[in-house]
Amino acid sequence: MAAPVCMEYRIEGNNFMVAGTASNNIKNTLKMLGIQSDVCRRAAVIAYEAEINLVIHANGGILKAVISEDKLEISTEDEGPGIPDIDQAMTEGYTTASNQAREMGFGAGMGLPNIKRNSDLFEIESTPGVGTKLISTVFFNK
Amino acid sequence: MKIKDLCEKLNADVHATGDPERDVTKAAAGDLLSFIIGTVSEGSAWITIQAHLNVAAVAVLKDIPVIILASGRKAPPDLIERCRTENICVASVSESIFGTCKRLSDLGING
Ligand SMILES: Nc1ncnc2c1ncn2[C@@H]1O[C@H](COP(=O)(O)OP(=O)(O)OP(=O)(O)O)[C@@H](O)[C@H]1O
Ligand SMILES: [Mg+2]
Repeated sequence: MAAPVCMEYRIEGNNFMVAGTASNNIKNTLKMLGIQSDVCRRAAVIAYEAEINLVIHANGGILKAVISEDKLEISTEDEGPGIPDIDQAMTEGYTTASNQAREMGFGAGMGLPNIKRNSDLFEIESTPGVGTKLISTVFFNK
Repeated sequence: MKIKDLCEKLNADVHATGDPERDVTKAAAGDLLSFIIGTVSEGSAWITIQAHLNVAAVAVLKDIPVIILASGRKAPPDLIERCRTENICVASVSESIFGTCKRLSDLGING
């Protein structure tokens, strides 16, 4: 089996104009590796939503993608404010986005639900005052 | 309807042509980016008043071939540039989102 391909990006906080540069990079790499287009599309949504959350909620953080033989794992880690109530954060429409972020069209409260819907496995772990970790896995079709 | 015909019928100010011959049969309207990501069907036209770089990022994610900026919103240069690179049409219309949706509906394009 080929060695896994790892990509890691440091995402800057509060710069709304990064416009998903890292997630676009991940998607292009997946395409280049010849990964199925359905997986590429789902991965692109997951990576974009995760990247934007780092920007607008967490003062930045790390976005990672690891491609192995049978799956793709997209994860984030940040030292932002954390999420006190995960169930509430996962509810469509719930948002704490700033007015500035909302003016730009963020804050539908649909990013995490979009990530979950596109994932085969989805884990989120958060400690208020410490930070948040998210892992999303997409399996390749056989 | 072809993208070039659609732009013409809407009297749109076209900033980037995208693929003028590509056919569009559906459309979605909205200004909340993640809502569009979660609900739009691929290949749809998108009508919005959001006019910044993230709009192109969403269009790329969802294979949206044409972005209509309503209520006279202008496209900033970086948005136009990105749309050109990604072969996405971006155009401004003076009409509101509502008016534009009505026009598209009259042209046989539906949600
Ligand atoms: N990395 C994070 N750090 C801290 N809080 C977060 C993080 N990610 C999400 N949240 C919290 O969870 C809420 C819901 O996140 P979600 O991505 O679903 O919606 P949103 O980012 O508010 O809006 P949208 O994604 O629709 O633009 C956020 O408003 C925020 O309170
Ligand atoms: Mg979000």
